[in-house]
Amino acid sequence: MAYVRKNVSALTATERKRFVNALLEVKRRGEYDEFVRTHIAYYAADGETHLRTAHMAPSFLPWHRRFLLELEDSLRRVDSSVTVPYWDWTRDRTTTSAPWTKDLLGGNGRRSDQQVMDGPFAYSAGHWTIREGVTDGRYLTRDLGRAASPIQLPTKDDVSWALDDPVYDVPPWDSTVTKGFRNKLEGWGTGSGSASWHNHNRVHRWVGGTMLGAASVNDPVFWLHHAYLDMQWERWQRAHGSHRYLPAEPPGMGDAQHGRVVARHEKLPPWTETPDQLDDVSGIYRYA
Amino acid sequence: MVDGDDATAAGATEQVRADTTAGTGRRRVTRGLLSCVAALALAPVVAASRPVPPAAGGDSFDETYRGRRIQGVRLREAGRSTSEDDWRITVDGRPLHLMRRADGTWLSMVDHYTSYRTPLEAARAAVDELGPGQRLRELAPGPLDGALPDGVTDLLDRMGVHMDMGAGTAPGTGMGGRHGVRA
Repeated sequence: MAYVRKNVSALTATERKRFVNALLEVKRRGEYDEFVRTHIAYYAADGETHLRTAHMAPSFLPWHRRFLLELEDSLRRVDSSVTVPYWDWTRDRTTTSAPWTKDLLGGNGRRSDQQVMDGPFAYSAGHWTIREGVTDGRYLTRDLGRAASPIQLPTKDDVSWALDDPVYDVPPWDSTVTKGFRNKLEGWGTGSGSASWHNHNRVHRWVGGTMLGAASVNDPVFWLHHAYLDMQWERWQRAHGSHRYLPAEPPGMGDAQHGRVVARHEKLPPWTETPDQLDDVSGIYRYA
Repeated sequence: MVDGDDATAAGATEQVRADTTAGTGRRRVTRGLLSCVAALALAPVVAASRPVPPAAGGDSFDETYRGRRIQGVRLREAGRSTSEDDWRITVDGRPLHLMRRADGTWLSMVDHYTSYRTPLEAARAAVDELGPGQRLRELAPGPLDGALPDGVTDLLDRMGVHMDMGAGTAPGTGMGGRHGVRA
């Protein structure tokens, strides 16, 4: 029986409490920091010749789908009623709307040092010390909306722009492609500045602080953000039924992307499933 | 801007050398733990054809930006083209890891979802995002490009995965099927 991932704004008070408590317990057990390290470890950029699995690559979506399942598994070992909620940033767009409330993720960072001061993940609450960070700061930071030079969250139209593309991804399968659902959702644009940040990337930047860096997993909104993106992948699959994950076959020996991206039937490190096997998760969970 | 002063550049290089040595030491230790890391280091296969970087800004820089000292030096490696050169950057003496995008632009560990035309611009953008009083971590966890960060091996062990970054060749057992993923 598939479990349900809900919109975070629709969670009951009890559901919020149980979700937060499960996160704090996973952190207390030391498992959470391992997720942070894994995400850092698997961030490879496309200007380098290593295999890319998590970003700037077709497997951006299945990699994060599998990563979410792993976290959800940890949460459900603590409390089997818990699932990862999603944050629909096309609807909950202000710095005080869900999930930025005291009973969920807490609010914005304070102006002086971006430190989150309220809610269960504030350093002062004593349960959320950052150990695997880019800086030596031990506290969670946010700069919602980017105070110094404000930006807006992506809109429904921005998401539709990605969803309307019937092709999953196109060569050279990296951050430079201007076509294909995957990068339109991942959000690497051309040029510089605000106009070049789309969907996924733009949300990381809108939240700012910890979410902007390599250790973005330290902000639990990471999971709510990626659950929403995962939901868009499912919507895309329903809208374009005959289209699948690409590339179907590994790029050949003469191709500059040979050995650098994961094809449909290749294993997706660090796991042993393939993108093909992660294509249909309807037997595990569904979105409400 | 770019500082061509020889003494300063030499100082920057010295600092960078120290950082590099420390990094190699860590790598050596980790290699001992997992032989596959050696395979990882050899993993780069076909060199990407990449456009020449826009305005790379010379071979080094050393400036104070918003009260923080930014130093950078280009590391040339034999057999690699100029566009593949690596940079070693420090902010207040702490290493700032940069990554390269296929379009020749750069992103840093602090600002991972935006890229910049030059290493100096990426370093300044990182400073823009560092809160007051925050410093880069001396031994921050890093990406898996040749070195396994501490702790990742623990996670992989817990997951029962035998490391192999090669696509489609991982022999590990992992957690496949645990979630009922359709095979």
